[in-house]
Amino acid sequence: MSLHRRQFLGGAVAGATLLATPSIAHIRPRVVVVGGGPGGATAAKYVARETNGALDVILVEPSRQFTTCFHSNLYLGGFRTLQSITHGYDKLASTYGIRMNHQMAAGVDRAARQVVLADGSRLSYDRLILSPGIDLRYDSVAGWGQEHEEAMPHAWKAGPQTQLLKRRLDAVPDGGLVVMVAPPVPYRCPPGPYERVSMMAHVLKKAGKTKAKIVVLDPKERFSKQALFQEGWERLYPGMVEWLGPGVHSGIKGVDPRTNTVETGFETYKNAALVNVIPAQFAGKIARDAGLANASGYCPIDPATMRSMADPNIYVIGDASIAGDMPKSAFSANSQAKVAAMSVRGELLGARTFPARYTNTCWSLLDTDNTVKIGGRYEPGDGRIKEIEGFVSKIGESADIRKQTQAENMGWYDGIIADMFT
Amino acid sequence: MRAAAFGVLLLVPVAAFAQAKGDQALGEYLSAECVTCHQLSGKSVGAIPPIVGIDGESFTALMNAYRKKERENQVMQNISAKFSDEEIAALAAYFESVKPKP
Repeated sequence: MSLHRRQFLGGAVAGATLLATPSIAHIRPRVVVVGGGPGGATAAKYVARETNGALDVILVEPSRQFTTCFHSNLYLGGFRTLQSITHGYDKLASTYGIRMNHQMAAGVDRAARQVVLADGSRLSYDRLILSPGIDLRYDSVAGWGQEHEEAMPHAWKAGPQTQLLKRRLDAVPDGGLVVMVAPPVPYRCPPGPYERVSMMAHVLKKAGKTKAKIVVLDPKERFSKQALFQEGWERLYPGMVEWLGPGVHSGIKGVDPRTNTVETGFETYKNAALVNVIPAQFAGKIARDAGLANASGYCPIDPATMRSMADPNIYVIGDASIAGDMPKSAFSANSQAKVAAMSVRGELLGARTFPARYTNTCWSLLDTDNTVKIGGRYEPGDGRIKEIEGFVSKIGESADIRKQTQAENMGWYDGIIADMFT
Repeated sequence: MRAAAFGVLLLVPVAAFAQAKGDQALGEYLSAECVTCHQLSGKSVGAIPPIVGIDGESFTALMNAYRKKERENQVMQNISAKFSDEEIAALAAYFESVKPKP
């Protein structure tokens, strides 16, 4: 890179006479994508592909390897290795000409249309796609903060935390107590809290520790696929899982990481072998700091394009966005990324655009070859992304259907990885 | 060869021809939804069958079977329900045009 494109443009706008006019044909519009997860990786690829380099696409992501939150519960359950859910960005660069920038994006200078990187350098953009995911609200569970995530892991960002949770789970003795503090809505999912409960029970049962108990303390009165999970837990792991909503536990008062205690309005759980705290969440810091979030901590978007309601040059996709009826899943982020990419290409290249449509399916493993799913399709409507039609697995389905659904789950994993990274 | 193809074309009614020839660009856009599970390379894993390179007629028949809920699978029934005939023709044209990678 010699002269920066924005310097050209800025110079051209501020005082064209100062610069020998560069050939306008050589100035490519630039799209910066922040965050290399299911939203960002997909967006970068779909913006860049088949453009023959007409767009300069930069993907900013500090990690060189990405461990997926989806199927991280399967790692916990012993169904997958961590390596099998960890992927690199090499092909995005080599196949689509996407330029990888492996550092943290520290902020957005919206007035200058620049992303400020951790080292202080700046990347100008014509369009910015933000896919920063969620940050944890370390102040949402009394007594628990970032300094306690070793003692009471969250494992809500896949990687070392997930490994820690697995080590701790594997060490739970027979008769031991596991407490999960479940998150309030809205929360990133996967990793699904209730699939995680199933995997915890599976690991304990498989190790013959059927006297161990998992208590789920939930701030919500109900949760997704509740009937399927509860029926599954009773049948597959009898007496091992106790789910308590706020009507029963009367509120989670706080935790003490030194003594592994969790106190509710109803009971105090002492000396737990493992406490998994999944706190409340909000949009990644960069999106909040840029003023793109509202009071909810998430970012309002135009449901037809995923464009930020606060800035016409910025798109917010994935967990950080307020995506109406869509859950904060990888599948959703992947789907939203394609709509955003289409809109960006339409704006910058005049490419054809079509009405936005979104889909999602979430699979949850209950036990070996026993998987349930929920999903839906969505369109813009009533000013939000609205569910048009949904489906969910049925209680009492045959073992064959559940096994087939798990095979679908595994096929989907490879499919979305290919879609994101190759 | 060319003469033969031309001959066949002459025999195809105009309406059927128009329907068989879907809008590939529309199909490519709509296909983004399919390739989250069905790999564009043609690789098949688990219970997700390959759909690239499939002939348009078979593709259309399959999608219609899901759309009418004659074929089981909640995901496919849900996804196919929204597509119009024109959109299914577009998808068929697109996937027929994609060559599976060896």
